[in-house]
Amino acid sequence: MPHTSKFKFGQLGIHAFFWLFVIGSLLPFALIVMVSISGESSIEQHGYSLFPSEIRFTAYTFLFHDFSEIARAYGVTIICTVIGTLVSLLVTTLLAYPLSRTELPFRRSLSFYVFFTMLFSGGMVPWYMTFTNLLPMKNTLLAMIIPGMLLSAFNVLLMRSFFHNSIPDSVVESATMDGASEIQVFFRIIVPLSLPIMGTIGLFQTLSYWNDWYNCMLFIDDPKLYNIQYMMTKTLTNVQYLLMKSSSSAQAGDMLAKMPRETVRMALAVVGFAPLLIAYPFFQRFYVSGITNGAVKG
Amino acid sequence: MRKYAKAVMAATLSSMLVLSACGGNNNAPSGEQGSNTGNQNANNGAKEEGKLDPYKITLVYPASAPKDLELVQAEMSKYLTEKINATIELKPIEWGSWEDKTNLMKVSNEQFDLMFTASWYFLPQDVTKGQYIELDDLMAQYGKDIPGVLGPDFLKGARINGKLYALPTKKEFGQGFGFLLSKKLVDKYKFDVNGVKTIEEMEAMFKTIKDNEPDVTPVISSKFANTWGASNYDGIVAGLSVPRGSKEIKLSDNLEDPKYLDFFKRMREWNKNGWFDKDVLTSDSEVAMTMIKAGKGFATASSLKPGKDKEMSVSYGVDLVQVETAEPFTTTGDAQGAMLGISRTSKDPARAMMFLNLLYTDEKLINMLDWGIEGTHFVKKGDNVIDYPAGMTAETQTYPNPGGWMFGNQFISYLWANEDPNKWKQFEAFNNRSERSAILGFSFNQEPVKSELASIANVENEFIDALFAGAVDPEKTIAKWKEKRAAAGFDAVKAEVEKQLAAWAQNQQ
Repeated sequence: MPHTSKFKFGQLGIHAFFWLFVIGSLLPFALIVMVSISGESSIEQHGYSLFPSEIRFTAYTFLFHDFSEIARAYGVTIICTVIGTLVSLLVTTLLAYPLSRTELPFRRSLSFYVFFTMLFSGGMVPWYMTFTNLLPMKNTLLAMIIPGMLLSAFNVLLMRSFFHNSIPDSVVESATMDGASEIQVFFRIIVPLSLPIMGTIGLFQTLSYWNDWYNCMLFIDDPKLYNIQYMMTKTLTNVQYLLMKSSSSAQAGDMLAKMPRETVRMALAVVGFAPLLIAYPFFQRFYVSGITNGAVKG
Repeated sequence: MRKYAKAVMAATLSSMLVLSACGGNNNAPSGEQGSNTGNQNANNGAKEEGKLDPYKITLVYPASAPKDLELVQAEMSKYLTEKINATIELKPIEWGSWEDKTNLMKVSNEQFDLMFTASWYFLPQDVTKGQYIELDDLMAQYGKDIPGVLGPDFLKGARINGKLYALPTKKEFGQGFGFLLSKKLVDKYKFDVNGVKTIEEMEAMFKTIKDNEPDVTPVISSKFANTWGASNYDGIVAGLSVPRGSKEIKLSDNLEDPKYLDFFKRMREWNKNGWFDKDVLTSDSEVAMTMIKAGKGFATASSLKPGKDKEMSVSYGVDLVQVETAEPFTTTGDAQGAMLGISRTSKDPARAMMFLNLLYTDEKLINMLDWGIEGTHFVKKGDNVIDYPAGMTAETQTYPNPGGWMFGNQFISYLWANEDPNKWKQFEAFNNRSERSAILGFSFNQEPVKSELASIANVENEFIDALFAGAVDPEKTIAKWKEKRAAAGFDAVKAEVEKQLAAWAQNQQ
């Protein structure tokens, strides 16, 4: 039957496309892993290769001879991610929910105030000064949790619309009639009903905390508080920067010679992404079920 | 039901937008201006020597923080307390984060005392903004030993508009230009590498390699062209320079200079002969070292100083020899190659100057800063020769050298057992024979022609790599370059340079 064969053909095409897509996404990772376990001389002779002529784990022994540094950086990242995500979800919800309620006085002005911060900001320098001079956050974990990350106006507005559109006022009304206080309404009715948006925002907060190195770069001087992403980023940016300057200063060229070799840089990248890569499938299962749970309700 | 599905979709989609927005939002702070440029009173807080109040000196420099930083800091503080009743806080900042981080430190009036700077490392910008205080009076009062250590030429070169804003490290004073060659191949073909070679003699070597070693690239990377330029011209901006050897102060335009054109023609020739590597447009010194190490390359050009070949051999683990093709040449850039300035946010500039004075004279202090604590990070093998303590190697050391060339007097820094024991004597000789530029001490203030310079730099980027690599016909390309450069406002820049140069020359007499 021509109909079925056409259908099969179409499916084959889709499958082929996605297989290619998957391979295309995975290849760079495979390459990083392979380069990190290549021997130095193999890279010198043949450049980067998926099949190095010589396999060595020297880069890893170099990285792990002092594992405390990496373990510490992981600790910092995990603490900031967990605390940051939880607090950020709480704060976002607590701001978004009242804004969604029509009986809130000055609702429009408050919403506009939140919205306004999306369009205009005080600029880099005042922002930095707020967190260093006004609030002494330099060289503390707070600096990697609060500045620019804890509360995103966009998330607030997103959540406000969700509450506004998806949770009928009558639900709140009936709960109030049954004698629930505002706090009870919020935690027993609203939060369970808004799992999909919580899941979505929570996941992206997690990712942005996990991937953040910029705050760490600006606010942290103490190497004991470096997070894992900054540890990786600094290695790469140091090399790039010195390469750029090596033509204007002989010394920059000399410094370059002391930077970690390619295999070490790649091994560092592997150490950085491997745990998340392993953990992500598990998180994703919850994430997907969270969304579908929310979706069938109603 | 449909409503919910829609909401979820919207939520997911918009969250993606958030994600992408996160990516774009980490813009580097670009050129934020400091508002407070008022100079502090230089003598603020200085007391009579002998009854100094305790003070903490903060030293900011580019480096990765080593593991034993606090240990060394404590030891230095102990020593400094005895000397000038001060403690020290070492504040290394990663090279890659330096610009973002220090810009914010400066504009937010963060308190620190000393900061590393250089003409290639934000000194001109910071002087314009008034970040560093003038040092002449302070040096006369609290840094009496410094002029004697540095000598007049160094101090002359370090000045900007006749004023001293930062003190240079005493290190090599001038740049040699030449090639680093693979020792294996030099030995195999018995090349003579002694003395200064002409570029023609080098070409004979390259030809031999090309003819006899089919797998070896004679020259890797053309990035050296800048260094070649620096050894022949005292470049000011935009290709305007005073050529080496000229006795009078007369501005010349590199693109009009026949010697410059000859150089490009030579590069064209080299390229046609197949002497460059196939990635010559992008390859850099790191690629060059890797290729030489792998036995696939013969030479790369580089700025030279005594013992550069040994240093690079150790760093990259391949035997190299260096050949000079020009006598060293000293320009303002060399005097301002590595300096320490006192910040306007320092609470006690006098103490910072006392500390600087020690960095130029006190062997014990500078070696603590450079190499760590004796017995823990190094052991003495001779008067000024050191080595790793038993069980420690370059990989496992806990206080790797931040860069002795950044601080004070490098000539009193200890030498390692595998280094030439006469290194500093050779440096001294090198500095003495280096030819001084006619305009040593002139630095150009870019402010008045900033926008023109930016567009001229864009024009330059369009042509320069291809010309240096010999990938295009020099005459035609230079003609095109000149045309675009003129449109970008070259004449205004030239006039400004001439004006400032004339004013400077007037002051010299």
